[in-house]
Amino acid sequence: MHIPDAFIPLPQGAVYWVIALVFIALSLRWARKEMREDRIPLVAVLAAGIFAIQAINVPIPWGTSGHMMGAALAAIVLGSPFAAVFVLTLVLIVQGVLFGDGGLTTMGANIINMGVIGGFIGFYSYRGLFRLFRTIYPAAFIAGWLSLFIAALACAVEMAVAGTFPLELGLLSMGLYHAVIGVIEGGITAVAIYLIHTARPDIMAETPGVPST
Amino acid sequence: MNQKIFLLAGLAVVLVIAAAAPFIASSNPDGLESAFFGIFGAKEIQGSKLSEEHAKAAEDKVVTITGNEFSFDSPFPDYSIEGLSKFGEVTAIIIGTILVLGIAFGLSKMIFRAG
Repeated sequence: MHIPDAFIPLPQGAVYWVIALVFIALSLRWARKEMREDRIPLVAVLAAGIFAIQAINVPIPWGTSGHMMGAALAAIVLGSPFAAVFVLTLVLIVQGVLFGDGGLTTMGANIINMGVIGGFIGFYSYRGLFRLFRTIYPAAFIAGWLSLFIAALACAVEMAVAGTFPLELGLLSMGLYHAVIGVIEGGITAVAIYLIHTARPDIMAETPGVPST
Repeated sequence: MNQKIFLLAGLAVVLVIAAAAPFIASSNPDGLESAFFGIFGAKEIQGSKLSEEHAKAAEDKVVTITGNEFSFDSPFPDYSIEGLSKFGEVTAIIIGTILVLGIAFGLSKMIFRAG
């Protein structure tokens, strides 16, 4: 759901950039306060892994394809929604500048959708679901699904504000496609958490159900 | 697993994903593009056939709606390197992956030291 330049008028793109910059500043503050030296390789591998996996568009029905965002994964593993903003911002800058994937004037909107909304929905829905059901992987799956689905609906609203999509049809079509793509997001989120937890339980953040030792 | 091995193992997994990406990725439009083509009449929302001609018209039309004519020539458009087909795509994605890894590692280290 990388929004290209042409989809949003410049003034609106500027507003999204300003909002995104506030969250980027907060994510840098998170990094300054919470970055542990032993977790730096995890941050780097997560960022690179999210970049690589975003290059794999999986076919879904209706002549469409989609890839995971990775925001829920980054937020859950690193223990903060701001970690997702930090990681996704880096990924989106490289994608936009080097590969023309997502516009530059719309990058603020893309950071808001995939980093901020994806990270916050992923993190807090995982927490809430874990507290309710006391089980890691189903909670991670649903949190991943929800993070992508809500980010896609936010994108549809932005498209409606831009005058690019009519609101209702935009919400319906974005919702339809991303309800399916969300299964990929949820599945990979749960599997990646299992793998990281198995390899290095000590460096995972102390999120409920993912004890740090 | 110690830190160095974790970084190397992680890098290995990530590079395998990066190298495989061009061979397994679908070229279908993504969710947002598909919604866009559906709304602008280049395909049915629940259909799979995309009309190239209408797709081009849709791309022109959206610029007149938003007035955003900004365009930028990225060095590796659509994760490709000009004239290098699949090999170029693999190379482009691996360059991007290593770059993201390097920036994330370097920036995190810098912030950690400053803090």
